[in-house]
Amino acid sequence: MKYVAMSQRKDKPVPVKPPQEAKTQAAFDLWLRRGLHKLYDEVVSEPIPEELLRIIEEDRQK
Amino acid sequence: MTTAVTFHDQIIAIVPKLRVQALALTRNRAAAEDLVQDAVCNALSAQDSFIPGTNFAALMHRILRNRFISNLRKRRDTTDIEDVPSSSFATDAPHEDRLALKELGRAMTRLPVDQREALVMVVVHGMSYEALAEATGCAVGTAKSRVFRARRQLEAWLLGERQERQSRPASRLERERSIPARQERLHPSS
Repeated sequence: MKYVAMSQRKDKPVPVKPPQEAKTQAAFDLWLRRGLHKLYDEVVSEPIPEELLRIIEEDRQK
Repeated sequence: MTTAVTFHDQIIAIVPKLRVQALALTRNRAAAEDLVQDAVCNALSAQDSFIPGTNFAALMHRILRNRFISNLRKRRDTTDIEDVPSSSFATDAPHEDRLALKELGRAMTRLPVDQREALVMVVVHGMSYEALAEATGCAVGTAKSRVFRARRQLEAWLLGERQERQSRPASRLERERSIPARQERLHPSS
């Protein structure tokens, strides 16, 4: 068996995941991002409750 | 007083994000609103100790999280309500999309609480792993790992391609106790 120094090896790096699995994961991650935004964006855009604003403003006046 | 104005304005600006974090933690709209209000009150009462220039967002997320843990310790009998925003399902999206969204909402409630929180803060808020780590008081590697495991667990559940071989779904008890139990180990109360 012939010894080949690491610096001379021409081997391609072994991919961590099969391409198809990586594609599936990427597609799922994209779908997940859109889905989570649909689920939670509504909460972000809701107005701040009056009661909470009142508490903050009262404290500001102190 | 400039600092006080900045502090209050910063609180108002971050409330929407706190609300999302609270919903991710509690899975209940009413409980989330209460949690946000409690966290804001805690922050207001401790504003003198706030140092301008520090990461305000991380501070507020941490206050809310600590408050959640504290509430959980007091009230172990929390109701297990799956309270994903209902109107999310009443969109113009096609029927299949609505069903998929509903499935996602359900799957989210099954995730361990720290994974759910991490995923929402990174994906919905666009928070960096470093900021997430600071906000949740963990190492950056832990923050990354939580988000990664949450993604892959959801993929396994929703696509059904893999059996739940690596991480079986946590029981409700495990989910709700995971953070306090860890906190208890790190900081045992006398």
